[in-house]
Amino acid sequence: MARRLALLFVAVASPLILLLFALPWSGAQALFAVLVTAYPVALIVVAVSRRGRVGPLGIPLLLLLVLLEASTVAMLALRNRVLDAPWVAGLPLAAAIQLYGVWLAPLLLVVLAYALTFDRYEMRQEDLDRLLASTRHREDPP
Amino acid sequence: MMPILAKPAIMWSALAYLLVVVVIGWWAAQRTRNAKDFFIAGQGIGLVVTGLATMSAAFSGFVFIGGPGLTYRMGLASLFICIPVSFTAGLLCWVVAKRLRLLAGVREIYTVPDVILCRYRSRLASGLAAVAVIVGTVGYLGAQLRALGIMIEAIFGTRRLLGPWSLAIAIAIGLVIVVFYATAGGMVAGVYTDVFQGALMVGAAIAVFTAALASGGGLGSIAHSIAGSHRFGAGFLDPLGGGVPIFTAMGFFMVFAIGNLGQPHMLHKFFMLDDPRKLKWMPLVLGVTQTLCLLIWLGIGLAVPALVATGRLAPLANPDDASPQFLLHFVPEALAGAVFAGILAAIMSTADSFVNIGSAALVRDLPKAFGRRLRDELRWGRIAVVGVAVAAAVFAYLYGDLIALLGTFAFGTFGAALGPALAIGLNWRRVTAAAAAASIATGMGVSLVLEFLAKQTYFPALPKPPFAPGVLPAAVSLAASFTVLFAVTWVTARRQPPDIDDDVQLVMDL
Repeated sequence: MARRLALLFVAVASPLILLLFALPWSGAQALFAVLVTAYPVALIVVAVSRRGRVGPLGIPLLLLLVLLEASTVAMLALRNRVLDAPWVAGLPLAAAIQLYGVWLAPLLLVVLAYALTFDRYEMRQEDLDRLLASTRHREDPP
Repeated sequence: MMPILAKPAIMWSALAYLLVVVVIGWWAAQRTRNAKDFFIAGQGIGLVVTGLATMSAAFSGFVFIGGPGLTYRMGLASLFICIPVSFTAGLLCWVVAKRLRLLAGVREIYTVPDVILCRYRSRLASGLAAVAVIVGTVGYLGAQLRALGIMIEAIFGTRRLLGPWSLAIAIAIGLVIVVFYATAGGMVAGVYTDVFQGALMVGAAIAVFTAALASGGGLGSIAHSIAGSHRFGAGFLDPLGGGVPIFTAMGFFMVFAIGNLGQPHMLHKFFMLDDPRKLKWMPLVLGVTQTLCLLIWLGIGLAVPALVATGRLAPLANPDDASPQFLLHFVPEALAGAVFAGILAAIMSTADSFVNIGSAALVRDLPKAFGRRLRDELRWGRIAVVGVAVAAAVFAYLYGDLIALLGTFAFGTFGAALGPALAIGLNWRRVTAAAAAASIATGMGVSLVLEFLAKQTYFPALPKPPFAPGVLPAAVSLAASFTVLFAVTWVTARRQPPDIDDDVQLVMDL
């Protein structure tokens, strides 16, 4: 289900983005920003799905999507109102969201999610053994 | 750039750097015995080496010079080029790296077109991928060699000695050094010089970031100086505002996040990893080193506008002077020397990767696309390295503007041409060979045509691309390539489902 949704998203978002680039519509840019933020997460879901499910990566990938989308929507909401918003960690809120919300926080999340799920989901020993056995079988003379 | 001559530490640092690179090349030459060593370093490279080599190949001199200049010109919107590094290392590993490495374990795979051939069993798709690699290589490599020539000219003051021949001779000096270690040591030399170069880049970036924050009195003080100035104003600190269209800012995000999936100079490194299980820590090594290296962009990109805003630095006539001006006037001479060496390292590490993949595309991928195979790939590979590098250098010298244009859109061309066929094709079995070939051709063709129409000044009568202001041609070609991949798959997979070899299917299923 997750995989189908992700594939459908990429398949629909790609021509939609092309359309947005050419449309004389004021909301096109904001919609593009929201779509393109979800795009990489959708590609990851397509790649990591097994039998349509994303297993232990479900929560980290959902968090990543929420983090990136929330940051994008917040930056859009603060657009051209930089000085009206509070300053955080030495920067206006929109800039702080960009640096800490889109740059540093996802880095931590992705690095941890990848390493912590690697052995039991991403590259299991039994899968590597299967691949090795298949290669040997392929190389053995009949 | 003349002030560099007055600072001998910069010249000596650059000389020491070039000497180390030559020594690594000579050392690697003793360890290069066959085509596997030459093209993928014998598939015997560890995690940290692979991670650093991938990072240094990915980051060219643009990170050190062009990036801060772009921030000076357009504010924080420019950071959407580098911010995707927060997740692109994970994106690469999840979407393509695992399958590339496992395929390289079961098949003789040295290049991205090899992967395309293996997955789709289509010489047309593989041949088109090879053409995309060669086109992008000429642009990327030519731009790097020209930048290398300009740096050598500036550091060693060759213009004063050689007059009008200065740039040609400076490019030739850079060319000889890159060709020496790339020909002798192939990818073994490439990755180990990349490790040295990557470490130098990271160290220089951290030191300069610290100096940049100190020069402006800390991040808060820098931001207040910029926001309060008439020249820059609050819009500079508005990531999706400040006069930069969202299409441009988020277009950067799209191209530099998703486009990563089609960069052969980065993907190539994954074939070399000695054990696929070491990918576990790749996002950590790659993501963290990329982030550290980009601190130089962030630091100088914020510090220089603040220094200009407070009157401590004159406004820049050319935004690309942001880094040289900061390094020459606001950091100690020894550190400036190390950073200029780091800039040379960034340029050369990208150049050597392209020399290698360009030669592989010529002597391996194109002949295979025509159903032929060269007998001695090592020997022909070495000859092709010289040929590719000399051709790119000649283009870089004769057609400087055109090469700069090619270089700027090579990243987008690679992303659009190769990204969809790899990212979707390696993870979804329904993608057909016809869809992959159409997607590669679309990505390459749309990218070339749109970039040419957008930036050319040769033919004033030609129309501009029919898109909203601020739309990046690379973003259009990327979206078009994905669209064509899905559309052609939808049409062709019904007629004839793709025929995938069992071992390739198994790799795709894991």
